[in-house]
Amino acid sequence: MLELGKDIEEKLLKIYADNGVMLEGNIIKLIKPETSDFAEYLKTASDKDKENRRKRLEITKQIQSQNRDLIAAQEQNMSLMDELRGALKKAEDAKNNAENDLDILQKKTQFELIGSIIKVALWIIIGVGIITSLLYFIALMTNKDTKILESAWSNMFGILLTNSFSIIGTIMGVKYASKEDK
Amino acid sequence: MIDSILLVDDENLFHLVFEDACSLLDITLSLKSVSSTDEAEKIFIERFKNKDKKPECVFVDLNIIGSKYDGIEMVRKINFEYGNGCVVGIISSSSDTEEQAKAIAAGAQFWIVKSDDIEPRLEEFRKDFDGYRTRKAPFKVYK
Repeated sequence: MLELGKDIEEKLLKIYADNGVMLEGNIIKLIKPETSDFAEYLKTASDKDKENRRKRLEITKQIQSQNRDLIAAQEQNMSLMDELRGALKKAEDAKNNAENDLDILQKKTQFELIGSIIKVALWIIIGVGIITSLLYFIALMTNKDTKILESAWSNMFGILLTNSFSIIGTIMGVKYASKEDK
Repeated sequence: MIDSILLVDDENLFHLVFEDACSLLDITLSLKSVSSTDEAEKIFIERFKNKDKKPECVFVDLNIIGSKYDGIEMVRKINFEYGNGCVVGIISSSSDTEEQAKAIAAGAQFWIVKSDDIEPRLEEFRKDFDGYRTRKAPFKVYK
């Protein structure tokens, strides 16, 4: 135990009386008072110190608890962010799939339409060719004037061939353009 | 009253809680807190070299972030390399029995579960301390 002596005890008491400043901390527990006044002083200092420590302990515990809550909230936020990122990726994938499906569907529809046009065009070409040739053949067999039919037949075939090639060209162009898009 | 205590814990706020609780309960007058097992090891190595007095009791956290060793390895080192008679135990928020078994194997004498209400556990620990000092008290979990 530490004995300070009456002089120092009086000085410490005077400082307390003048300025309200007291000894603090564990050192108080090590001092042995000589006078009853200083014993009272040490008891007050010890009580004050304990009170301060109790307050600090409460505040520190509150901060600890708040820190724990903050960390928990941060972890929750992180997991929510991960979930959101996952959901966003899924939505983007779904969007890309839908766009691809739509593109494929559009192309399929386009090709089907082109196919139908080609079929109709070919039937028309074949039909017109057969009808004109038949008329020309009948005219030849029945010894009728074939001058008009002759020129009409050759003109018709010329036009039909030109149109056929034009259709084929258009189809090839469309196919080529769709390949370039990819 | 315990002569001197060393606390090894990475949570600085807990240093304050522990210091205030020890002071309020008159557990010790000499308390040193360090944030890593590396610092604790340095203290033991220096005291071993200089033949200084070692802390009478060491409280080690189980998981110490940013340290070379975890708490159990630190307990083992204190017990078998540097401690030479120190009372040593774990102070952790975990109460995992597997970890407790490892701590016993490393030479821990007690396990204090950290919580907001640490004072009653420290009070109980203080009562049992003489048993730990004489190595007569069995391993105990304060929860």
